[in-house]
Amino acid sequence: MAREFDHLFKLLIIGDSGVGKSCLLLRFADNTFSGSYITTIGVDFKIRTLEINGERVKLQIWDTAGQERFRTITSTYYRGTHGVIVVYDVTNGESFANVKRWLHEIEQNCDVVNKVLVGNKNDCPSRKVVVTEDAQRFANQMNIPLFETSAKENINVEEMFLTITKMVLRSKLEMKERQNVSPNDVVNIRKNHNKGRKKCCQ
Amino acid sequence: MNHEEIKSVVQEKFLSSERVTAFLCDAKVLHPEWVKRDRLLAIVEYGDEKAVFCLFSSCYPPKSFTDLSIEIVLPIDNSFKCEIDNKPSDPEAILYLNLQSRNNKFKFEIQMTPRVDNFVDDLFRGIEAVNKISRQPEFVWLNKYSIKDEEDFIAENIVLPRSGISNMPNTAPVAIRESLIKRKMCDKESEYTFTKQFTVFCGTWNVNDKSPIIPLKGWLNIDKEPPDIYAIGFQELDLSKETFLFDQTFREDEWYCAVLNYVDKRAKYIKVEKVRLVGMMLVVLIKEKHYPFVRNIVCDTVGTGIMGKMGNKGGVSIRFDLHNTSLCFVNSHLAAHVEEYERRNQDFRDICNRTRFPQVNQQPKAIKDHDQIYWLGDLNYRITELDPITVKKLVNENNFGPVLEWDQLKQQHKNKNVFAGYHEGLIAFKPTYKYDPGTDNWDSSEKHRAPAWCDRIFWKGDHVKQLDYRSHPALNISDHKPVSAIFSVEIKIVNEEKYRKIYEEVIKQLDKLENELIPQVKVDVTEVDFGTVRYLELQVRSITIKNTGKLPVEFEFIKKLDEANFCKEWLIVEPYKKCICADETCEIQLKVLINKTSACKMNAGTDQLYDILVLHLYGGKDIFITVNGTYQRSCFGCSIEVLVNLNMPIQEVPVGKLVELESKRDQCVSNQSTYSIPKEIWFLVDHIYLHGLKEPNLFEQPGLHSEVLQIRDWLDTGSIDPIPGSIHSVAEALLLLLESTADPIIPYNLQSVCLRASTNYLQCKQIIMELPEFRKNVFLYLCEFLQEALQHSAENGLDSKTLSTLFGAIFLRDNPNLIQEPQSRINKQVIDKKKAQFVYHFLINDHSDLIFSK
Repeated sequence: MAREFDHLFKLLIIGDSGVGKSCLLLRFADNTFSGSYITTIGVDFKIRTLEINGERVKLQIWDTAGQERFRTITSTYYRGTHGVIVVYDVTNGESFANVKRWLHEIEQNCDVVNKVLVGNKNDCPSRKVVVTEDAQRFANQMNIPLFETSAKENINVEEMFLTITKMVLRSKLEMKERQNVSPNDVVNIRKNHNKGRKKCCQ
Repeated sequence: MNHEEIKSVVQEKFLSSERVTAFLCDAKVLHPEWVKRDRLLAIVEYGDEKAVFCLFSSCYPPKSFTDLSIEIVLPIDNSFKCEIDNKPSDPEAILYLNLQSRNNKFKFEIQMTPRVDNFVDDLFRGIEAVNKISRQPEFVWLNKYSIKDEEDFIAENIVLPRSGISNMPNTAPVAIRESLIKRKMCDKESEYTFTKQFTVFCGTWNVNDKSPIIPLKGWLNIDKEPPDIYAIGFQELDLSKETFLFDQTFREDEWYCAVLNYVDKRAKYIKVEKVRLVGMMLVVLIKEKHYPFVRNIVCDTVGTGIMGKMGNKGGVSIRFDLHNTSLCFVNSHLAAHVEEYERRNQDFRDICNRTRFPQVNQQPKAIKDHDQIYWLGDLNYRITELDPITVKKLVNENNFGPVLEWDQLKQQHKNKNVFAGYHEGLIAFKPTYKYDPGTDNWDSSEKHRAPAWCDRIFWKGDHVKQLDYRSHPALNISDHKPVSAIFSVEIKIVNEEKYRKIYEEVIKQLDKLENELIPQVKVDVTEVDFGTVRYLELQVRSITIKNTGKLPVEFEFIKKLDEANFCKEWLIVEPYKKCICADETCEIQLKVLINKTSACKMNAGTDQLYDILVLHLYGGKDIFITVNGTYQRSCFGCSIEVLVNLNMPIQEVPVGKLVELESKRDQCVSNQSTYSIPKEIWFLVDHIYLHGLKEPNLFEQPGLHSEVLQIRDWLDTGSIDPIPGSIHSVAEALLLLLESTADPIIPYNLQSVCLRASTNYLQCKQIIMELPEFRKNVFLYLCEFLQEALQHSAENGLDSKTLSTLFGAIFLRDNPNLIQEPQSRINKQVIDKKKAQFVYHFLINDHSDLIFSK
């Protein structure tokens, strides 16, 4: 039969309120941008289909409310996520400082998952307060790829989503390969490694 | 408005040349996505073509044609089907009309009225008529009504997975999305392809059971340039019985080798495919350099010979894609004999209908599903109405025109009985049949057959130009002469880069459509503030959900992880689940009521007036709705131990202090407490004692809710005004206060002991003696008061039985946290009786000893 996609991945966008999570999604899924700020109250998703190395990947990208009061509720949406996009605002130091908390949130709610760190609103050098070097140092430390993007000017958005998608795809293919080699080993390692941790991701 | 008047309104919707011949009111479309509302069905005629229209009217009856909108157009063509069912349970009143046209299927529910007969008659007349007209109806006039654009198409067919990614997506929309991509890419083909000229050589020869004993150069290799493609067909390769029965022949290889030997040697050719059925063989060769761009090679054979099935007659075909153009070559040998032209027409149709090329991931293709079709062979059509002598005379003078007029194939083709839509080039060569083998002489056998152009080449498709069409009389071993045609054709070649780009655009467009079809709603308020909320005072707020998407949306308030209900117990949401049609709105009422259960938690600080609701759209997003308010604390819902420690009205107590007291209520001891019973109970009891002991129907007549709320405020604020409200309201407030204390006066864990002891006054007394101090105080104080009230039974109408039943239920409350087996009614009656019995002792006996024992 006809196939719509070879892979279906769920990506999650998290980060402080107002860093531009919805705008990133809107830019990537619909290639539009709206300057007026409408805070996300809830979780919303959009889809986008990509072709990577001849394989069709359908992405379901979830955009979450960043407000503190929703944090416990939004954490329930981490379930089944393949990749997480942690966003801060390069013109807002606090949002960068909070990245650690968001990473911790992932740690709490997800099993092994691919991540990217995204400094959004990178379109006005005079207002930039989180310098690239600091962000890069932190990203290296955490072993997460860093992207500085602008949803407004459409800078680096496509590249960022493409990277996380490729990471997720690679993880899946590697996992498959490992399972083919010796399925028992894989299961055992994972079990031991993750003892006592909440296991949500597939 | 009568039928004729409505009809004239409907008629206005169409052009004057388009006549409404019949119509029906109140037909309902039965479609899951459509609102089941009345629609109009109309049959409209234009020339000899008819179509069924389904119209929606914004008001009924329609006043003007602007009220009508066309929703469905079903042309009555060959594919049109109409079935009528009636409802088995109600055969008289309801009819179901199933209409199908060009893969669109609709079901309508129709009220049985005399008009229906007219309508159905007209419909069937239309169906009959379409089967009579010989030409294919075109329905060009319907183009302007083709309202069904792509979005609607998807909207009807794509169903999003219901709750996110975990569900297996439905397979049907996948196929639809896939075919949409195909269709879109097809529409945009010209944007990513360019064309290149190719030459195609087609040759056909009935070799009459001969071996290739002569060179074929004069047939296959006489053109200036070597062709890009060779398609060579043979008939009567082998007439032996063995071949016919077992379909094996050495001639296949002989002739195939001969072909390879004699094709143009200036180019190198590769075989695309070779196919044979009995004596019919088709070989397709292509220049080596084009071979990498040949894909999906499939062949098929169809026998139309003896019994309509055997392979002595029929067709063999090869199809393939060259770059982005699909090509199909057919070699056929049709029925013989002069008079059998109808049979030949039938063979053609059978080959068309029965030839099928299986495709990967797709429906099999038929011959007609190709960009270019080349049909060659011994088609066997003859010359009629002219005597052989005249024919021979004319053709020997190369005067073919008058003869060709009597060519059956020309006649049948002209009447579209065969090869409709195909072309044939101008015939400027002598008939290719029938010769004495080895000569150019006409058949000299006894039969003296008239010459005929049996061997022909037809084509179908755009951008095909025939360069030459000829016979090769020098090749004379058979009773037929070979024929060939050379074509210059356009082949579409894909520009990979452009293709990728357009493909991505199409995918993006579809993604966009899919995103637009995700349910969307607008909620006017996402933060609902109830302001100050008081005990037992219902507060209502509403929010409005508007469906801003394109499809009906179903919403539901869903549970958050680890929570038993989707909202807190003090909140009521109505409706919590509903479907909203596009552009319609739904009002949701949020009601807050703090009762005794929730009041206790509010006072103890274990709950607060704050909740986040998750409004889930099926197949779409979740919206968080925050509900908050400030609870005005009240003595209702406090524990007795806390109330006795409050020497000021509760509203003057800081919130933190109250929470602290509630959390430490177990450690409450008498010598540190302010009162021996809660002052609120004392106020109420004292008021009744002073002003209401003689009130008729005391404790039996209910108070006014508004007065009870005033009394609540009076108690909570410590007002110095006289207590408001009637005696009955005060009595009710007292009962409510006693019922709402955080713990019952007799603790839950003692209830079963009490019930067991209920027949024994001494045991009951013993239990009361052992109660926590303040509960005991309250119990005895109230019993004393009730005994006092009973003194006035003549006026207030009270009796000890009624009172003990009423207060039994208050003193001995059932534990709401205890999950009990559903009590049978009788069992509950027994328990209630025992509760009353327990209290009864203290209403009729003097228990002052208990009070003074203190």
